[in-house]
Amino acid sequence: MRALSLQRRVIAVASASALVLGTVLVSGVTAANAATTPKTGGILTLLEHEPRLDHLDPSRIYTGRDLAFMNSFHTRTLVAYNPVPGAAGANLVPDLATNTGIPSNEAKTWKFTLRPGTKFEDGVAITCEHVQYGVSRVFATDVITNGPAYLQAWLDIPKDADGNSIYVGPYKKNTAAATAAFKKAVNCSKDNRTITFTLNKSIADFNYLATYGVISPVQAKKDNGDKYDLNPQATGPYKIVENSKTQLRMVRNANWSKASDPIRTPYPDEVIIQFGLDEEVIDQIMLEDTIPTAINFGGPLPSNKSKFFDDPKLKNRRMNNSDPYANYIAFNVKAMPCLEVRAAMYYARNAKALLDYAGGPQFAGSYATGVISPLLATDYAPTKVVGPGSADFKPEGNIEKAKALLEIAKTKCPADYKKATEDGIVIDTRQSATLTDTIPINEAAFARAGIKVKFNIISSGYYSTVMNPAKQKDMSGSGWGADWANASTVIPELFASFGGFNLSQNSADPAYKAFEDKVNLAMKTTDRKKQAVLWKQLDAEAMKNFWVLPTTFGKAQEVWGSQLANVFFWVPQGNPAYGKIWIND
Amino acid sequence: MSATSTVESREKAPEIKGRSPREIAWRRFKRNKVGVAASILSLLILSLSLFAPFVCKVIGIDPNTLNLEVLDVSGIPTGEAAKFSLEHPLGLVPGTGRDLLAQLLYGSRISFMVAILTTFTALTIGFFVGIAGGYFRGRVDGVLGRFTDFLLAFPAFFMIVALSQPMVARIQELGILGDNGSRILFLIIFLSFFGWPGFSRLIRSQVMSIREREFVTAAQAMGAGRWRIISKELIPNLWAPVIVVVSLSLPGYLATEAVYSFLGLGVQPPASTWGLLLSNATRFVTVMPSFFLITAGSLVIVVLAFNLVGDALRDALDPRSDR
Repeated sequence: MRALSLQRRVIAVASASALVLGTVLVSGVTAANAATTPKTGGILTLLEHEPRLDHLDPSRIYTGRDLAFMNSFHTRTLVAYNPVPGAAGANLVPDLATNTGIPSNEAKTWKFTLRPGTKFEDGVAITCEHVQYGVSRVFATDVITNGPAYLQAWLDIPKDADGNSIYVGPYKKNTAAATAAFKKAVNCSKDNRTITFTLNKSIADFNYLATYGVISPVQAKKDNGDKYDLNPQATGPYKIVENSKTQLRMVRNANWSKASDPIRTPYPDEVIIQFGLDEEVIDQIMLEDTIPTAINFGGPLPSNKSKFFDDPKLKNRRMNNSDPYANYIAFNVKAMPCLEVRAAMYYARNAKALLDYAGGPQFAGSYATGVISPLLATDYAPTKVVGPGSADFKPEGNIEKAKALLEIAKTKCPADYKKATEDGIVIDTRQSATLTDTIPINEAAFARAGIKVKFNIISSGYYSTVMNPAKQKDMSGSGWGADWANASTVIPELFASFGGFNLSQNSADPAYKAFEDKVNLAMKTTDRKKQAVLWKQLDAEAMKNFWVLPTTFGKAQEVWGSQLANVFFWVPQGNPAYGKIWIND
Repeated sequence: MSATSTVESREKAPEIKGRSPREIAWRRFKRNKVGVAASILSLLILSLSLFAPFVCKVIGIDPNTLNLEVLDVSGIPTGEAAKFSLEHPLGLVPGTGRDLLAQLLYGSRISFMVAILTTFTALTIGFFVGIAGGYFRGRVDGVLGRFTDFLLAFPAFFMIVALSQPMVARIQELGILGDNGSRILFLIIFLSFFGWPGFSRLIRSQVMSIREREFVTAAQAMGAGRWRIISKELIPNLWAPVIVVVSLSLPGYLATEAVYSFLGLGVQPPASTWGLLLSNATRFVTVMPSFFLITAGSLVIVVLAFNLVGDALRDALDPRSDR
């Protein structure tokens, strides 16, 4: 599940991600002052509106920005994305391991050998058992929440009658059989240096999962379960010395050695995130350059973007990139079974007004053609079903088409028609300051076709609410970015009943069975080109069935102070490569 | 001669009329120029709010018309739309380009509704509890007094913040009211619940004072029953403090509604209240300060006007009280 609490201000949508490969469509990537010589020292300050990060525990982080941040400074994983500008940034490089994983047995077995000389912040040398223990934690699904769930699905550990793994993690008593099954699936060599993963199916890109903290070392004696999230042990160049309501402060980790880490270049002496600052205040600090060593961690407010991007004086202190998210509003197909009504909703929406509201093509991105982002170049193709390139798409809305579809619905599914035109379709949306504007725009747009909409504004726990089938309303705003450069982390996650983020609840749809069969076929297909063709077809089919209402392929802006150098967009994480920033005097 | 003229002048002197307390108060009130001006302004604002649809029609503005085409990428009105005009007297709201005056007029309706209903509910409860405690004294007063103390000691603000979500959800689940209706109901119930003890204290003290006065003793001596004393002797003498309290509470609750809506705990979009407008305005405070200043200024003017009316009424009805 890769759509957690990332606060992108553009739309009240959250999603997080790392991804990409191939041809990368990144506009205006800036590598500020790249020509200057790196310098060490100083304090890198990140200014954040939220009162804390969602998670620090490596097993629980699942948002692109927080991954980019923590993996740059604090947490090492077996393999990592290369922190360099451009498409090369999506290449895997060994991190704690000496290689990027060696597959065998048709990619059902993956082997990683650990690099010597790596240590935790307390000086304990990292061994295979630490990684094995780290992996075991994700099976404690009641304690280690919100992280990627691929390991539970993929590791070759038997499941009980309810489909849950028989191994329940290190915090509860396991049967001998469960422990043995886990140790067989995640096996350490006798010298404690090589870890072998045995999977229940061929996963050709399993090593991409090894860029996540779910496969990272944790010391059992330091693990205090849920509380490990507050102060996890560092394996990278910085360790946490303060995690309070006002700031997260990290200083150099004396037990990290450059010789054991080919990726990280720890330039600043300290890294500090200041929490809970007003967004307007952050923007003013940035505009006035009051803290020249600071970066706006959440990006500028929509109303201030012009100030940053129209001023030539700030050209070295900003960047504007396509981000990896495909934004959409999921239809709860169980609550809205009528295809014509769902399609009418799509055509009645005023996509142009909402895109313009969010900053237009310059800042908010482009009209989505599906749920696979163009940044996922191998698997992306315009579906020609929705969005630009499709016959009936009009940015302002195709009202005639919407009305014609509703006419069909009137006789074909009168109950749904009544709901759409009289009772009102209820849209789940996250509480946001922008709702005062987006709700009237939406209401006016849908009213043109005679559709009534209501909004269920959720102040806190948005995803935990909408992912609960009992609480989800008719439609739910969301966004998704691939976990890595394969739509296997998009299409099944969003549309298969076994996916981790199926807000569409589409399993009862007449088209579902054939769709799932094709998903299973694509998952088995090891020929990447053939697999990509299948993903493109499945994206188009999902759109034909209107299981979601696709909205935008997003963009994100970053701004920073005048003394920061070497700030560039790290494509797979969809964020700056924070670890590569240095501070000029 | 002089004696005669004195007699004549006495005869010619106008007859001294007995004035009712109401007339005396009204004369006093009229002498307070600020109070009169504030009253006229308050009545004008209330009328504008009450007849908002009519007023908007006359001026030719509409609260729901979007003017997206005149906004720049930051959502700020540009060109002619950025100025005040006859078409849009207070300009446009950034983000959607809706008319600000129309939004303020329509927004004030919910704000006034919450303020008026809360004041009425809290006062009604406080009025009767206060009379019961003040008149019966003894055990009744003891029980009511302790309960009042208990509520006064409660951190009402935090209770409302904490209970807002679950209570609103509960009201919706019960099907009493939907969406904003349930939020408005929650606000009114909770603000009243925590608001009446103050009224109750005031009324109780007034009742305790009045019930010792001669006319009450006289009524008792003439054999008047308990209910007659309360309804005929006490209640008519409580109107003065009640009117003052109402005029002072109304702006208080108006501001309170704005605070809760501002915090996202009160009314939600698409409805509009002054709190929501203020919350919206803070996003544009640096790029379009006029939006914030007009909205905040309007709230200040309304609250100030009602407060001045309250002060003037207090001076007029109860000249012994200190300012």
